[in-house]
Amino acid sequence: MTKFTENAGHIPDFLLADIKWHHLEFEDGADTVHVKVPMLTPEQCTQLSDKIKISSNNFLRQEKVSDIVELIDKAIERLLNRDDPFRIKAEQLLPIVTGFDKEMVRLSLTDYLKTFRKPQLLKFLNEDFPNPKILDEFQPAIKGGFAKAFGPNCLLHIWAGNVPGLPLWSFISGLLVKAGNIGKVSSSEPLFASWFAKILIEIEPKISDCLAILWWEGGKLEQENILLRAADVVLAYGGNDPLKQIQDRTPITTRYLPYGHKISFGVVSANVLDAQKSWSVAHNAANDIARYDQHGCYSPHIFFVEHGGHISPRDFAQYIANELSCFQEKFPRRSLTANEAIEIAKWRNQQEVLALSQPDAEIFSDKDGAWTVCFSECPGKFSPGGLNRTIRVVSVSTLETIIPLILPYKKFLQTVGIAATPKELFQLSETLGRSGITRICALGSMTKPEAGWHHDGRYNLLDLITLTEIESSAETASEFFANYTD
Amino acid sequence: MSTQNEIVNSIIKFIDSDSTNEKEFNDLSIQIFAYQYENNIPFRQFAVQQGSSPRTAKTWRDIPPVPINAFKSVFLSCCEPSSLGRTFMTSGTTQDGIKGRSYHPILDVYDASMKKNFKERFLGDLDDLEKIKMGILFPDESSMPNSSLAHYLSLSIKQFGTHCSRYYLDSHGINFEQLFKDLECAQNTRTAFALLGASFSIVHLLDKMEQENQRFNLPAGSRILDTGGFKGQSREIEQEDFYNQLSTAFGIPRSSCVNMYGMTELSTQFYDNGNETCPAIKTGPHWIKSRVVDPLTRKDVPKGKPGVLVHCDLAHFNIVSTILTEDAGIEVNDGFILSGRVDGENAKGCSMAVDEFLRATK
Repeated sequence: MTKFTENAGHIPDFLLADIKWHHLEFEDGADTVHVKVPMLTPEQCTQLSDKIKISSNNFLRQEKVSDIVELIDKAIERLLNRDDPFRIKAEQLLPIVTGFDKEMVRLSLTDYLKTFRKPQLLKFLNEDFPNPKILDEFQPAIKGGFAKAFGPNCLLHIWAGNVPGLPLWSFISGLLVKAGNIGKVSSSEPLFASWFAKILIEIEPKISDCLAILWWEGGKLEQENILLRAADVVLAYGGNDPLKQIQDRTPITTRYLPYGHKISFGVVSANVLDAQKSWSVAHNAANDIARYDQHGCYSPHIFFVEHGGHISPRDFAQYIANELSCFQEKFPRRSLTANEAIEIAKWRNQQEVLALSQPDAEIFSDKDGAWTVCFSECPGKFSPGGLNRTIRVVSVSTLETIIPLILPYKKFLQTVGIAATPKELFQLSETLGRSGITRICALGSMTKPEAGWHHDGRYNLLDLITLTEIESSAETASEFFANYTD
Repeated sequence: MSTQNEIVNSIIKFIDSDSTNEKEFNDLSIQIFAYQYENNIPFRQFAVQQGSSPRTAKTWRDIPPVPINAFKSVFLSCCEPSSLGRTFMTSGTTQDGIKGRSYHPILDVYDASMKKNFKERFLGDLDDLEKIKMGILFPDESSMPNSSLAHYLSLSIKQFGTHCSRYYLDSHGINFEQLFKDLECAQNTRTAFALLGASFSIVHLLDKMEQENQRFNLPAGSRILDTGGFKGQSREIEQEDFYNQLSTAFGIPRSSCVNMYGMTELSTQFYDNGNETCPAIKTGPHWIKSRVVDPLTRKDVPKGKPGVLVHCDLAHFNIVSTILTEDAGIEVNDGFILSGRVDGENAKGCSMAVDEFLRATK
């Protein structure tokens, strides 16, 4: 039994002395982590946002974007180094805090962090800015004149969820556009963003006053409202109900970027279902299910498997079941709370009852309930799985028949993991795109979006900036006023 | 193979017998299992799916518990729809809006179970034929013919209520004026009063009384029965607060405030022995048995550990006797503690959970 204590959050020095701390407790088996998070008073929130705006003007905005890339790269390098004290802490504490398997956290972290090294950061920039120097100085615009991109002076992130490292995506995006960043960490994973901020400051102490990582209780509106009013851009993650509440309290003049919960699914073409390839496809599918136990927005809830291959959809479901059973040995599912277990049971009970009216349906499940695969010949209505390694596998006559099933849920869809021939891939992608899908990837990569991924189909960086344009008229007119004019 | 009549007679005889013999319970439970396996086709399919049959089952614990959501989508009955006397439906508060149904060809067993148990647990101190003035905070049976609770309360008032007992809730809401008048009369004439109703209606009543600064000091022998909990209603209050408020508002000791736990999917109810301390232990009569299982493996959890409740109710003969609830509970000495219906444990990630999906796409 080990007890850990960790100070999370980051507050610029000028406020540090007067801060009150809140305690969050986490437990996994015999191990506990006691996390202290900073909680500001409403007055302190005002002081903080004022300070961050000034400091980011004075420091971050003066830096070249290439210097910021170097800084982030150094920080990521430290997190990738298994001997670095922060990396050691991450491997030790995140499994306790989130309940996810230790080895899975370790591997997934490495995969994830690799997307933020220098070459990948350059991809991030290039995805949104053909000429990233536009973040440093006025650059010629194609239409004529000049333009410069300004990141928000104060960017407020409201993070949610327990998938380790998730806040990094928006945090790094904020840094790349030179924003002053205030982040609210989630109660279920308050650590990673805090560590990242601390590493940045160790490398470049001047950034300390441009960042804050805070926590406040859900529903503590006074603090939140002050920060919502202070921010130029608000970026929030979570369920649609809390997102709506934040939207209602965000000034109309503030850009609001909500990232709601999403549903993703897998597609397997008959053409890949031969005796040779089916196993590896099933392995990849199971990997997507097991990684973070389907807690990610990119995690699959259902697999549509096309009829007509050498391996039947039913057999393929059985393959996935076998692979899940192997994953359970390698990376056991996180232990569930009583409520979570009941939620899965409710979902599984429902599938069992549905199976009564579908003679072809079959349920494969581990004896301890660590995973469940529900197979059905009839796709029925599109609906989410029970999470925590529960999956529906349904057979479809052709891949195109998936479209009418998913179309009603367009607003909630995100990633499709696909195993198909090149021709099928491009044919289906067209209709998937029309149906609201924003990301199509290989099976096995669903939980590992590539560097520069446009989250929910949006621009990570462009959505944050405002463009200031010098129109050609101004430029031409200025010539008239030059002292060297003839 | 038993006929419906034989099954009904055996059960009524067992209810009357006061038998606490484990073997007799097991024998009858297996006999009913066999009857349902034979006559209730979807249940038989389910049992086969679970690898269970009356031949292999030795005790009630071997009967596969049917998840209560099956009551929504599957026609579970041992007799044809044409011979059904009464159908009880759940109140339909679930998000998908589909109601669970329990089909009763006759209500003899339901009524026998209700009356004997109710008399013993709620009116145990009264003489055999003694009646008590009742006030019901629930619509009457004619306005809610598909509500098992309306039927339950109607039985209670018919069988055990004095002639001046009455309903105080109709489509216009609670008739506070009349209720306050009658409570005052009971207080002044020192006539025991029994208030029965849905927990959330009683909460409304408490709110109104507080608003109007109204309090009663009901005479000894007065009592309150609430049922259903408050989930999803206008206001949720803690059990401790609820029973404290009840006790203060009516001058009734908390030990005379009884909570009944019943379900449309059963024909027998559970009671506590008052709520002197919360949470109170719930127990049922000798014709119903419960166990607490791991929701995923459906195996018994060690005593004292939380799980979900499985009930085997011999009185629920026409549908299925053994059900898997969605109610979390903990087994204690001779009964269980209810930790409430479990709804929408939020997934902690950014993946959409079923409940949220249903809400969002409604």
